[in-house]
Amino acid sequence: MNNIVDGKIVTVPEIATIEEIKDEIQDVKTFYLKFDNPEVEKNFKIKSGQFVMLTVFGAGESAISLPPSPENDRFHLSVRRVGKVTDALHALQVGDKVGIRGPFGNGFPFEEIKGKNIIYVAGGIGLIPLRSSIVHALQHRNEFGRIIVLLGARTPKDLMYQYNIEEWLKIPGFECYVTVDQPTDGWTGHTGFVNSLIDKANIPVENTVAFVCGPPVMFNSVINDLMKRGLKDDCIISTLERHMKCGIGKCQHCAIGRTLVCTDGPVYTYKQIKTLGEEI
Amino acid sequence: MDYKSGVCNFCGTGCGNYLRISDGKITGVYSSRNHPVSKGRLCVRGWHIHEWLMTDQRISSPMIKVDGSFKNVTYEEAVNFMMEKLSPYMGSSAKAIGFLGAPRWSNENNYLFMKLARSVFKTNNITLDSESGHRGSLNVLSKVTGFPAMTGSLEQIEKTKFIMVIGSDLTRINPIIGSEIHKAQMAGTKVVTLGSRKTQMAKLSNLHLQCRPGTLKLTIALIAKVAIEKGYMDKNSASSMAGFNDFASSLAAINMAEAIGSTGISLDDIDSVAKELCGSESAMAFWSTGISGADEDTVSYIANLFLIAGKVGKENCGLNSITGLANLQGGYDMGVAPDLLTGFQSYSDGAVRSKFEKAWQVQLPAEVGNDVYQLLENKNKDLKVLFVAEHDEGIVKYEKEIANLDFVVYFGSYDNPFVNHADVVFPIAALIEDDGTYTNTERRVQISQKRIQAFNGVLSVRELFSMIAAKSGVKWSYNSSEDVFKEIASLTPSYSGLSYDKLINSTGIQWPCNSEYPNGCKSFLLKSGTALSFAKVSGTFPAVNVSEAFPFLLIPGRGEYFWHQNNIMKKSYIPKREYNATLLVYPKGFIEINSEDAKKLQVREHWTVKISSDKGSMNVSVKISEDVKPGTAYVPYFIKEMITDFLLGHSDKSDMGLDATIPVRIERV
Amino acid sequence: MYLIEKENVMKIAEELAKNYELFGPVVDKGTGQVFFDRVNDSSEISLSAEIPAIPPKHVVFPQIERIMKYKYDRSAKKAEIEAILDNRSKAIFGIRPCDLTGLIVLDRFFLGQEFVDEIYREHRKRMFIVSQNCIAPFKQCFCVCTDSGPFADEGYDLNLTLLGDYYLVEAGSDKGKELVQRLGLKSADPSYAEMKKKANDKSISLFESIATDNKAWISRVMNRITTGFIKEDVWEYIGKQCFECGACTFVCPTCSCFNVEDHNRFDGTTDRLRTWDSCSFEGYTKMAGDHNPRHPVEDRRNKRFFCKLSYSQSKKYLRPGCVGCGRCQWVCPGDIGLPNVVTYIRREITE
Repeated sequence: MNNIVDGKIVTVPEIATIEEIKDEIQDVKTFYLKFDNPEVEKNFKIKSGQFVMLTVFGAGESAISLPPSPENDRFHLSVRRVGKVTDALHALQVGDKVGIRGPFGNGFPFEEIKGKNIIYVAGGIGLIPLRSSIVHALQHRNEFGRIIVLLGARTPKDLMYQYNIEEWLKIPGFECYVTVDQPTDGWTGHTGFVNSLIDKANIPVENTVAFVCGPPVMFNSVINDLMKRGLKDDCIISTLERHMKCGIGKCQHCAIGRTLVCTDGPVYTYKQIKTLGEEI
Repeated sequence: MDYKSGVCNFCGTGCGNYLRISDGKITGVYSSRNHPVSKGRLCVRGWHIHEWLMTDQRISSPMIKVDGSFKNVTYEEAVNFMMEKLSPYMGSSAKAIGFLGAPRWSNENNYLFMKLARSVFKTNNITLDSESGHRGSLNVLSKVTGFPAMTGSLEQIEKTKFIMVIGSDLTRINPIIGSEIHKAQMAGTKVVTLGSRKTQMAKLSNLHLQCRPGTLKLTIALIAKVAIEKGYMDKNSASSMAGFNDFASSLAAINMAEAIGSTGISLDDIDSVAKELCGSESAMAFWSTGISGADEDTVSYIANLFLIAGKVGKENCGLNSITGLANLQGGYDMGVAPDLLTGFQSYSDGAVRSKFEKAWQVQLPAEVGNDVYQLLENKNKDLKVLFVAEHDEGIVKYEKEIANLDFVVYFGSYDNPFVNHADVVFPIAALIEDDGTYTNTERRVQISQKRIQAFNGVLSVRELFSMIAAKSGVKWSYNSSEDVFKEIASLTPSYSGLSYDKLINSTGIQWPCNSEYPNGCKSFLLKSGTALSFAKVSGTFPAVNVSEAFPFLLIPGRGEYFWHQNNIMKKSYIPKREYNATLLVYPKGFIEINSEDAKKLQVREHWTVKISSDKGSMNVSVKISEDVKPGTAYVPYFIKEMITDFLLGHSDKSDMGLDATIPVRIERV
Repeated sequence: MYLIEKENVMKIAEELAKNYELFGPVVDKGTGQVFFDRVNDSSEISLSAEIPAIPPKHVVFPQIERIMKYKYDRSAKKAEIEAILDNRSKAIFGIRPCDLTGLIVLDRFFLGQEFVDEIYREHRKRMFIVSQNCIAPFKQCFCVCTDSGPFADEGYDLNLTLLGDYYLVEAGSDKGKELVQRLGLKSADPSYAEMKKKANDKSISLFESIATDNKAWISRVMNRITTGFIKEDVWEYIGKQCFECGACTFVCPTCSCFNVEDHNRFDGTTDRLRTWDSCSFEGYTKMAGDHNPRHPVEDRRNKRFFCKLSYSQSKKYLRPGCVGCGRCQWVCPGDIGLPNVVTYIRREITE
């Protein structure tokens, strides 16, 4: 049986080894992975915005978004503990095996946005699915206008990928604004919800796309503010998360309105989201 | 064909099903269209029984505890170990040994459990686990009608003209009974629900009397009072029955205006229910039994109300006590009680006892036993040894008391939190690994046949108990479950006409089945020569009042969200997920409050609040719902911490059954 | 077109049983309930039995199915994965047009779209299908409203129509023709086409007197459901009656939602199981970590009827998702089988 269709591992997971584990913020760890089969390792190609189905042996399978850039980046997953599968993953150590299927999903429209300004708005771990695109855009820095990251979190301890941000800031023309809504002692940065950064960053509107990712409450208010500022609904792009069981459009757990997040998404423009007819 | 008929083993409804067995393994379940109770329906649990039946979370080997840890041994070794450890307790004191039976076990297994306790270990301290509240209903029904079980029949729901559902949400606890009531309502039957919360059952009724928490019994009493005083009652027969005058005068003592005020229901509604109930051609009452169900006193009021209305012992009528667990009724039928032998025969009756002595060829102790839970609670710590059959719940009540016992024996199929408390553990064959009969809430005895081989070669209860009996010098010679059933039938008047042959070729037979009722008995019908009598009632309606310190009335509820914290549900996927669905949204549990109260407390959906009573406190999330009235709050307790940290402190309230109410304070955190 | 004598029709099944695992309508002796299930011997099959309580869906999409097996030895860091595909050859004999349409819908869904579902394909690949036209409807039927009966017009290898003392046998594939030739069936003269048409007309005319349980003029509500232009209280009325049992999905010939679970076995291996699921369950869309996008039960019911009766979903099936078998109506503890829901919505339109 041909397990790999167009570079995707469709039905049966391929085995990968955890090479390194990094503690990120509370309850979030990053797992650096390598496929055991060198052929698979070589042919495994992803697009920003896609996801994989991760098997933690003995616990089950779960959809996990992909933070690495499609080019020149180590294959890794950043995962928050929220349930049975992710709990079990967090209990694994370097050298342990996991199973991977994918990558699945449509991915961000990278070609279409060339030459534009990009604003990334992330709330908390919403930065994880956006990381891939940020790194990719920075790898092609001269193909875009302004590249701005607006990052919000509950407390300073909940800021994802701070070490990455420090690296990215060394790249000329990269702008990053950070806020927390519950500052702790020693916090000298901005305080407030992530929307407040929209004004602070004085974001462009013309020839601009915004990628928004975060919890539903944050998502709705950020979209509101972006629209108020004049961004069009088809220039606001997000990636949706849903409970998934197959990744290939068959189990139907991730149905929203007339679309399936796993094959029609997970990346949608806000214009599309509005017509899905369901809460997101 | 791979589909084999069977009986669902979750709640007491006793739905028929078909299990798909392919190559010796269970591969699915389907509903049974021609089954008289379920008629092609199953609930979410029933549709997934195969998930539970295929689980590998089983006890795979006998184990004994040596120096605090378990060691796998053979059955022989485990039995020897047990008998050796138990020898000092044999005959030491009447209160030393207790047996806790399983309301999910088959009649045969429960009968043998009871026989093992009485004939081998010489103890009458036998109690059915999990739902001792059912006994209260049986006592009342037996006293009023002489019929120790639900008097009506589920098949007659569609024919009755008036239905009163008291307290429980049958759509959740016994969904197919709820469905049958819903369908009757659609076809024109008047359905009235009574309770402090607007449940799905209430939403599907014609009229919901939403009384203040703690006043359900009072509401029923008021309906009866109005029925008498307004002359709606059945004047011909009710007033001449024994106990009528006592009941009527206890009702007369109630101050109408005051009582109406405390129930919060209008007199008009009470009047119309009284009038319609009495004037209806036929009527049925439904209540759930057990801890979250009606207590004995409330059941007495229900039964008396129906006597007054003239709706007992007639066609398409019924006083219907609904069991939440598959064989709760059967457990009592098999005499798993300190003072009963099979078929509700009194243990104190010398003639009955000698019948059993003769059949079993043993001497039985003359004294009735004690309730095992009472023994566990009592300060003298007389109880030293406990035998437990298939503990059904994920939570071990009396955890400390059980840890302090000298020796605990566990018989069960599934891995369970109770196992760790045991000193010796015996795995046994599960449902469909052995033949067995089950008696549903309406006395329908149904057979579930052996369909697959026992897991990992474990023994059936029959084989294991015979081995234990043999070790103590008593010979039990059963070759099959059928042999056990024959013995039951020979000793139990209400089961005497039943046999495996009859049961295999039927969809169950409702007891009594004997020479008087050769084909069983659908419902209790009054015959000339038998007399009905009123149940004694307390006449007291303890008011649970709010105070400045505790301004909310909290209703602790149980079955609706996570059905009985049920251990076997956790062995399934979909039903477990559906339980976890609520848990995912409210990981700390939730309290339902009205939107008005939420506004006053300045809290929103999902915010955490602290609930305090005079006994303790807990933090839970807010769920805003119009299903509760202002000033009232509802907590379903499906989180272990909620039970151990808070509700166990209020165990006195559980005696109040449906009227259990706790005054609390709710604060923003 | 070929002919086989009525009394010899089972010879087709016997011939199939030589090379295929045989499935067909079987009557349970105890309760009289009809199942569509595996038989050990073709004599168990009853071609004249009423529409089976369970559709043949489970033959290609089992209620619970092991799709993979693995073992992970953590101390040795060794993982072994074994894919499991059902490679048995199966013949289904006597499937009725509604259920055949259900199978076609499943084919289009599982084998069409972006990905092919390999697990389904393996069940389906070597299958032989003998359908039988319904010369009279049953009480619960409304396939005339859903364009899926009483006669079949595609998707079979052989199709049977009872015409007097003969079954008219039509071959719908090369496999079918080959079997007909192997059995040496005689050709039917062209007049049988006309007889078949008359039988079809007669069957349709019998719906009014026989098929009295359900009516569902689904075309009238499809537009409403697609545009979402249905009053909230209609969904509320429907939601209130939902007992969340999942039965409607389980008995539906076209419902194909599934759950995947890893089932740890006693021997240290793990089975990955695919099991039937239902969008009416609260936990169905629930995500780990406190978010359920589809909360009230009305929403979830709404989803199922959208799936059965919207134009957008019909694009995947190339027809409506309902095949008019009436099963959801008799298993529903509420009163909200699809035909009734259609009635409730139509009632609102009329008002």
